[in-house]
Amino acid sequence: MILLQSHSKFLLQTLWNRLQNLEKGIELDHHWVEFDDVRYHVQVSTKNPHVLLLSVSLPPPSSETIFVNGLPFGAIDAIKAAYGSTVQIKDPPRDGYNLTLKINLSKLPANQDQKQSFLVKVASVREVVLGAPLRVILKHLASRTVAPDIDPLVALVHRPRESFFLVPKADKVTVVYPMRFNDSIDIVLATSFLQEFVEARRTAGLHNTPPCSWSPTPPQELKEVPADALLANAGFVTFVIFPRHVEGPKLDRTVWNLSTFHAYVSYHVKCSEGFMHTRMRRRVETLIQALDRARPELEKKTAMNRSFKRLGIKKDSRNNSFS
Amino acid sequence: MASTLRPYLTCIRNTLDAAMCLQNFPCQEVERHNKPEIELKSSPELLLNPVLICRNESEKCLIETSINSLRISLKVKQADELENILTKKFLRFLSMRAEAFQVLRRKPVQGYDISFLITNYHCEEMQKHKLIDFIVQFMEDIDKEISELKMSVNTRGRLVATEFLKQFI
Repeated sequence: MILLQSHSKFLLQTLWNRLQNLEKGIELDHHWVEFDDVRYHVQVSTKNPHVLLLSVSLPPPSSETIFVNGLPFGAIDAIKAAYGSTVQIKDPPRDGYNLTLKINLSKLPANQDQKQSFLVKVASVREVVLGAPLRVILKHLASRTVAPDIDPLVALVHRPRESFFLVPKADKVTVVYPMRFNDSIDIVLATSFLQEFVEARRTAGLHNTPPCSWSPTPPQELKEVPADALLANAGFVTFVIFPRHVEGPKLDRTVWNLSTFHAYVSYHVKCSEGFMHTRMRRRVETLIQALDRARPELEKKTAMNRSFKRLGIKKDSRNNSFS
Repeated sequence: MASTLRPYLTCIRNTLDAAMCLQNFPCQEVERHNKPEIELKSSPELLLNPVLICRNESEKCLIETSINSLRISLKVKQADELENILTKKFLRFLSMRAEAFQVLRRKPVQGYDISFLITNYHCEEMQKHKLIDFIVQFMEDIDKEISELKMSVNTRGRLVATEFLKQFI
């Protein structure tokens, strides 16, 4: 799986299982964590088996990003637009979570395909909520306008206490990511990956993709940002998004890809390290085999044993043929 | 660069051929102890002159011999930051498995990337020319492995970037 998918597989499976067993009164109470510290909680009680409570906790924002009532701006509207009346927002949300949704499983559309796509949309609640501000800005870009009351430099959260920056204009949106990693090996691998982004864009067939650049120091757009938000040991990546990248169905995909860019790079850095370990282990085995070839005694012994056996067999056959 | 590899390896092979004449030598200072003299370096009459073979400024090989043991230290070429961490990672991986290799030293000598310690016991168990073959093959394998790791990182980076950017078309 190269690309990260927008729906949570475990959540989708839980919803489907619940749907298959709608009449059985089974208690359900699951907590789990996904990448970048997004926590989910699903609860079904035996009293109301048709009602499923889904709670989501988002990564804590840093000082530049503001959450309104614990949610990014535009999140409530995005939820209403995506799910309609089948889903209600519970206020206040469950303790320790930013959002609690009450889903009525008996009110799902009857058509199997529509049911599947609705559940996939519910399982993509992370994309809907965290990507809401980005969606607002990019939707305005598609109509070549700028959203009203928006700052010239917007900071959005994508990891615990870390944000990425947007400069929204009417004809383009510039997205800047300060890339930060904890491990020194991760930093070097990520730097080489990020430089490949710039190189890959130059290949034929990718001219329509957003122009991409990498720099070790903060770019021009981040002049006014305080220094502690700009600690980036793997440099800064800048994408320029044009209206053609957010037309129609491309909008959702673009929102997801941009929201999870850091997670995507981090995931592939880890995969790369795992692959290197497998290679190194294989190489160690080859070298040890080469060393074993340097030992002579075992070879001599088996050769002598074999020649002994051969003489023995020949003797017996000669006896048999005579008797 | 490849043109200096063969003479470098041949030189190391010839030096090892000459240096690997090890015999059992019980410790002079402590009774009933038998230690590799090259590690202790306590008695100068038991040590031979160390030989340093340089391929270029960044690659060299130090061969130190004593009466019952031989130490080979290698410094591997590291052109950029990525090769630097790949080399360190790979050689640390090998050094941690030194017991499986028997002739490998757990820590490299100061100033080098990896070290071997060959004692007279190893020479008794294994054939001398095959042991030298192993050391030379080891050196070639390290170079090959580092360059293959680097290429795999670059290929993966290119693939990751292309897949991501294709999403925007």
